[in-house]
Amino acid sequence: MAAGDMRSVAAVDGRGSLVAVVALCVRYLPVLIMLAVWELVGRSGLVSQQMLPGIGAIAAAFLDLLQSGELVVNAWRSLSRAATGLGLAVLVGMTVGLLMATRPLFRTLFNPLVRILYPMPKSALIPLVMIWFGLGDASKIFLIFLGCLLPVIVSAYNGARGVNPFIVWSATSLGASKEQVLREIILPAALPDILAGCRTALAFSFILMVSSEFVIAKDGLGFLIGSLGDGGNYPAMFAVILTVASTGFVADRLFGSFVSHRLRWKEQA
Amino acid sequence: MSPLSLIRHRDRLLQALVLVGLVSVWELSSRAGWVHPFLLPPPSDVLARLFADMQSGAVFVDLGLTLYRAVTGFVIAAVLAVPLGILMARRRGVQWFFDPLISIGFPMPKIAFVPIFILWFDIYDTSKVIMITFSCFFPIVTATYSGTSHIDKWPLWSARSLGASESELLREIILPLASPAILTGLQIALPVGMITTIVTEMLMGGSGVGGAMIAAGRFADSVGVFAGIIEIAILGMVVIRALDWLRARLLVWHPENRAH
Amino acid sequence: MTADFGIKIEGVSHAYPGTQGLNAAGTLALKQTDLLIRHHEFHALLGPSGCGKSTLLYLIGGFIPVQTGSISTQKGPVTAPGPDRSIVFQNFALFPWKTVLENVMYGLQKKGLPEAECRDIAQAHIKLVQLSGFEQAYPSQLSGGMQQRAAIARTLAVDPDILLMDEPFGALDAQTRRVMQEELRMIWKRRPKTVVFVTHDVHEAVFLADRISIMSARPGRIEHQIDTGLGPERDESTLTDRRFVELGEQIWRLVREQAVLASRGGL
Repeated sequence: MAAGDMRSVAAVDGRGSLVAVVALCVRYLPVLIMLAVWELVGRSGLVSQQMLPGIGAIAAAFLDLLQSGELVVNAWRSLSRAATGLGLAVLVGMTVGLLMATRPLFRTLFNPLVRILYPMPKSALIPLVMIWFGLGDASKIFLIFLGCLLPVIVSAYNGARGVNPFIVWSATSLGASKEQVLREIILPAALPDILAGCRTALAFSFILMVSSEFVIAKDGLGFLIGSLGDGGNYPAMFAVILTVASTGFVADRLFGSFVSHRLRWKEQA
Repeated sequence: MSPLSLIRHRDRLLQALVLVGLVSVWELSSRAGWVHPFLLPPPSDVLARLFADMQSGAVFVDLGLTLYRAVTGFVIAAVLAVPLGILMARRRGVQWFFDPLISIGFPMPKIAFVPIFILWFDIYDTSKVIMITFSCFFPIVTATYSGTSHIDKWPLWSARSLGASESELLREIILPLASPAILTGLQIALPVGMITTIVTEMLMGGSGVGGAMIAAGRFADSVGVFAGIIEIAILGMVVIRALDWLRARLLVWHPENRAH
Repeated sequence: MTADFGIKIEGVSHAYPGTQGLNAAGTLALKQTDLLIRHHEFHALLGPSGCGKSTLLYLIGGFIPVQTGSISTQKGPVTAPGPDRSIVFQNFALFPWKTVLENVMYGLQKKGLPEAECRDIAQAHIKLVQLSGFEQAYPSQLSGGMQQRAAIARTLAVDPDILLMDEPFGALDAQTRRVMQEELRMIWKRRPKTVVFVTHDVHEAVFLADRISIMSARPGRIEHQIDTGLGPERDESTLTDRRFVELGEQIWRLVREQAVLASRGGL
């Protein structure tokens, strides 16, 4: 946590931007070292350029893909699928999870399904959605929806079950109705858990997006990776893989900062 | 018998009834032709297929291969990641080097790297297992690191004042105290490993449940696809239960196992 | 039936269902409890931990259903929680995602008052508990004592007939607790209400209450009732008052018997 400390010190004493930059460099130096090792191993001829394209070659391929529009079109297809599936899963999952936690009838109805589906590796459903929905968008969106649904349901359920009962009692003794307790007390109190579940679901959405596009190949980033690899264009394949990986990373970080903004009431003074 | 346990039993019975009801509706609707049996083959057909495959032994070969790959990759990942996570928490230099790499690697969709592993190690078991190790590694190392660096200082100070050496501290105090977090990391990693196993099998073939399923899907054999889903569901349930059981066994001392 | 009772408790027993295993038979928390709490009386319920005093309070609050016997207030029998019997818990139970002001406004909004009026009443109560300036703070940014002030303001703002307090100062340090006791007594004098105050601290009970009920070890019953007779004024000097000291010793002996019984009774 040394870098973190330095950054906060820098923020306090004002003459900080230089210190902050240095701290950032120190922190991410290992990443640069790894990149340098990559480049050196590639150049040394220990492995063939085919196996490990140089960083320059990958960057050039990336720019080519960007200019031709191939990357943007496929990224748009992939990310819109992931977003649709994930968005639906969050809406449905939150509702089902909260209702399961507060209404015994819902618990009885949904618990068996959740218990069977939760531990199942969702990628096993790829052939099924292929049979049900064909090779188009619907199959992938449905797969992402199902995969993301369960972590959201389970986190909403656990979050709502774990709400301090005294908070609920306080609200009822202040005159809140059953509906109001659910919407105004249980939902916000369970929000930290729900958001943690959504973060897991976000990771799942990327995994399932790429996996399904690998297997049910028509378009999208997964398809692009596969077809570039089949065509032997390895620098471009590496470029797309690294794009997918960094998009996943950035999405997670953005969601993380959204969460800490949304949950700022939790922070200790 | 107390009223509460009565309620529990009633609830369990109701849930079983819900399940039986669902399966009956499924059977009925595909037998009656309300949905096309290709989309939703009757459960009795799926069960019949499962029995046939069990008699021929095909199920056990596929399940065995899938389980072997998943567990091998998972165990290798654990063997590498747990010591590294502990070292990161205890040694400044190790932490400095690995923390940025791991914090970047952790949220990345590792599955995207499959084609690279195919390129490097071909499509046989080696590349599958390495891919599984790669995807299991990050959740385990992250959980171990965070668990080890957040343990209470009081037991550490007590042990030190009672005369524990540095290595005794590590084995007898730090490891047990961090074990709940480490086990949580393993419990997160195992399902990830299962997902990865299935996908690599679908992509690279070479038998296993994933390979068998994708073949069934390509040949429009929906009964085979459903049989595969049931096999994987059971396998997933078994390995997750096994880890739950292991956790309860290892953490008998922990308050989490007392509250009921 | 006279109109000047606050809460009437008649023949109330309460058993918690057992889980499988150790105590499959369930636990009897209260046994045939009778208690009459007067109108606008500050009444302390005192007893060893696990004697069922909190259970009795939750029954009055309507949070757990009455199994046998009856509990009634001026408004009739208690069946559900309501803003006429508001409660302050030991762990504050503030809504952590709401600011102090939003917390205090919550019950007022539930009464359907216009927003501006809610705000005014809430501000007045925040001032009453001396939290002015912290309206926009989140509970996690406040000390324990300040959180408990906010919880008290939230409860008082809805102007309940009956104020239920469940070891409200139990989580505070000794100095803060003393200050809060004095302030509570002062607020109560300005805004008289029927107060039921659960505590296991003998001196807290004597300092605050007009009357004290001492409960027996589990299953709980009201074992003794004592008028403190210390008069309406309570301050620093009360602590050295001869009657205060004597009462403290007398009540401590009575509670100690029950505490010893309770600790021998197993877990």
